[in-house]
Amino acid sequence: MLNKILSFVETETSGKSYKTHKYCFDGIEMPHLVYDDQPNLTLKQYGESEKITSPRHLYNKSKQIEKFSQPLFKYFLDGSRRTYKVDDMAYDNRVYPIIAGQIGVGCCERDKRKNLKSKLIEHQLVMAVPENASKDNKKKLFFNNLVTKINEQNFIKTRGLNFSKILDYADIKLQIGEKYENLGIAKIQDEMIEQEKRIVSSLVYKNLLNEDSYLLKDGSLEYKTMKTGDFKDLSIIKSNYKCVVGVSKSFNPEKCIDARGHSNAQKIAELKLYHRTPAFMWESKVSRGTEGNVKFSIWYLRIRDAKYTSSPFEGIIKVEKILISEQEQKYGLKTEEIDTISANLINERNPVCYGKDNRWANHLYPVYLTEVFIKSKYLSNEYFLNLF
Amino acid sequence: MGKIIGRIAATEKNPTTIDDFFFWTSKDMILNPFDVIKVNHINESITYGVVEEISHITDTASYLTSFISNDFGDVNIQPNTQRIGMNYVRAKVVGNTKNIYIPVRDGEPVSLATAQEIRQALGLDNIKNPLVCGYLEMYESSSDEKVSLPIHLNSQFLIGPEGAHMNISGISGLAAKTSYTMFLLKAIQYKYLNMEIEDNVAFVLLNVKGKDLLAIDESNDELSKIDKECYLNLGLDDEPFKHVKYFYPYADNIHTNTYADKNLIEHQTNLDKAYWYKYIFEYDKENLDLLFSNIDDPAQTMESIINYIISEQGNFGNIRNWDQFLAEIDKHCQAGSSKDKEITVASWRKFKRIVRKALNNHIFALRASEQDRETRLQDSIKSIKKNEIFVIDIAKLDEGMQSFIFGDVMRAVYDLKLGQFDGIPEEDIPSRIIIFIDELNKYASNDIPKNSPILRQIIDITERGRSLGIILFSAEQFKSAIHDRVKGNCATHAYGRTNAIEISKNDYRFIPPVYKNMMTRLKQGEYIIQNPIFRSLLNIKFPKPLYKQFK
Repeated sequence: MLNKILSFVETETSGKSYKTHKYCFDGIEMPHLVYDDQPNLTLKQYGESEKITSPRHLYNKSKQIEKFSQPLFKYFLDGSRRTYKVDDMAYDNRVYPIIAGQIGVGCCERDKRKNLKSKLIEHQLVMAVPENASKDNKKKLFFNNLVTKINEQNFIKTRGLNFSKILDYADIKLQIGEKYENLGIAKIQDEMIEQEKRIVSSLVYKNLLNEDSYLLKDGSLEYKTMKTGDFKDLSIIKSNYKCVVGVSKSFNPEKCIDARGHSNAQKIAELKLYHRTPAFMWESKVSRGTEGNVKFSIWYLRIRDAKYTSSPFEGIIKVEKILISEQEQKYGLKTEEIDTISANLINERNPVCYGKDNRWANHLYPVYLTEVFIKSKYLSNEYFLNLF
Repeated sequence: MGKIIGRIAATEKNPTTIDDFFFWTSKDMILNPFDVIKVNHINESITYGVVEEISHITDTASYLTSFISNDFGDVNIQPNTQRIGMNYVRAKVVGNTKNIYIPVRDGEPVSLATAQEIRQALGLDNIKNPLVCGYLEMYESSSDEKVSLPIHLNSQFLIGPEGAHMNISGISGLAAKTSYTMFLLKAIQYKYLNMEIEDNVAFVLLNVKGKDLLAIDESNDELSKIDKECYLNLGLDDEPFKHVKYFYPYADNIHTNTYADKNLIEHQTNLDKAYWYKYIFEYDKENLDLLFSNIDDPAQTMESIINYIISEQGNFGNIRNWDQFLAEIDKHCQAGSSKDKEITVASWRKFKRIVRKALNNHIFALRASEQDRETRLQDSIKSIKKNEIFVIDIAKLDEGMQSFIFGDVMRAVYDLKLGQFDGIPEEDIPSRIIIFIDELNKYASNDIPKNSPILRQIIDITERGRSLGIILFSAEQFKSAIHDRVKGNCATHAYGRTNAIEISKNDYRFIPPVYKNMMTRLKQGEYIIQNPIFRSLLNIKFPKPLYKQFK
């Protein structure tokens, strides 16, 4: 029998493998709503320089931009991960799941001929194991050694593969409803976010982002501060995000509460086509770091007519941008900038991925393409699972 | 490695096979059907493919998606991002440098080929007995990589003994069938005149349209410098045909039987090139059956009458000329005159109707006078010499007469090659005689009565001519109308521009759909050629004719 990864891990960590059924989490998940944004979003104050109280119509501005200038967004970033349960392994009479994952983070660039080209792509293979798979305290060293040894296996070498990391999830007493699987998956998710931040940082380092070429990132920018990693504290690296806009396809409308504690949901649902809400300022609790809370300007924008969509929230995207200067943190983003970003987002509404993705009304095509590109780099599930 | 233009894509639905493969390429890469591309294959071999089909796809799931992508039907939308799209190409495998024919592998680079590689791919390198049959152009749209190279075929596969006969089809005017045949004949004559070749060749051409072939030894004043250079590049000279003789149907008045004008004929007469042909009863009565080639004769009564006459029954043995012949027939047509019970008076009358109309023509005469440059076609053909071209004008004659003369020419050539004529030393007989006839459908279509002597003659030539050295170059508008045994025996086929109805016929079943559709768009001077030595169909071009063109 081939010496596959699991039997190797079993020996190296002196655990006991149960050789349980291997499967991909993404395929068997029960359908449930996943929101890109953080729950319990409370919008506190006005997030823009002008005090506007009603939605703003931006179609004319978007037409002007289309006619007289180049699109603002030049780079598009998305990250995705696919997780698998590959085994159950016993350590000290407890049984822990072994989770494996493929992480893809990619950035595409739009050239002058309106074609999307790959700019940066990172595809990583990772595993998440319980921290007590390492019997000594030097677990970082242990897991680094383990991944090196795995990569030296013929089985991996001949296939030209490379595992980048073995992540360890906490060995804690589980609360009701909690599962070790979720701890492992969360670790892999964190790793993906770390990669996203790394790519933003590398774009900034190369001076690619400026007033005329923004980065559009899929999903929220609200990164929670992590314990480890080179980019763990958003409050420190926030200046990287000067020319980055986060756009969430899905958000929980019920959780949008205004400063007085009233729901904003109806106002958002009734947004007219090509209108945006006033921007609100939002102080993130989860991305509180050494330099204090990170503040965001958040607003909603309707890019598709409600009459064509199946729910009033389809066709609306949530836009957010990190407030960087002191001026911004105090008075919010300039209304002019918000309008420009919104108008440019309106111009990104076409083409659509109708027929390919159910979220077509909320998708922006270049982001969708970036996502498709990243997923095309994945190893197939069958191939990946059979490595273990 | 040439310029890489894409990579092989083998999918679940469209795998690569021994016969073909798919590759993707940029949507801006201009390729054409028939272009040759190469793919790296195992053991450092190279597989060559010929482009058959090009498709453009995007990630648009449906037409509805496209509609929605334009703000639900706004025709003025200019999106910021181009939809992701690419072209994918289906190519047919034509060869591998190491004869490895397992399917090419996914992801292998596909690149353009050099002229030498194209020759190798199409089996055009190392051709024995090369005879130029046109040139091909590839990658026309990319000026750096554009390739233009002469195409040679093995002459033994065109004019025997390996393979023989050529059929050209295409609609009138647009296909330039005559021009292409003449290009090939020029190449053949040039080769035999200028190279040391064991055997030799002569040509008999029938002019069936206006003055088309009546000045093939005069140069074309309108020929451009580029066309002349083209001939030189193809290894030919830019001079018109040589050693040509013209045969006009005799008539009292020049204009009765030919479209040629007086000056032309006088000019040719002065150069000792023009002759008048005639039919004399005593020598030509045996060809009378040819007058009946298009006439249904289920009871074979006409055949009986012809036999009756040829075997000199009744008073037919004493007849010297056509008038006497008609008078004799008249006798048989009178009521109660029938002594022979086998042939009824009604049959004699039918025979008379057909014969009288034909015999009214001046070419049926009492005698042919050599001093007046008159001749019998059979006598002239007997004396055809190597490299000579005989142009026989039948354009202005009616259809029945045209058949008669064509049949007579074929018989004469046949008899000559079979050694039926006395007194001709074998070494004087050209080893190959090429006959060119346009509008073959008049003589060998599916509708021609099965017992037509001309049809039988044509089938015989196509089936046995290869070994005898009689080669038929034929042309017609619609190949599908031609008798299966005739076209089936042609080794070389040239397809010019044709129409949609024609390509839906069975004859074109083996041709890939894209090539078929190309046939309806071919430009003048473009042909698709099929020959046993080519690995696939070739799309070739040829220059404008070298000889004088009448408008």
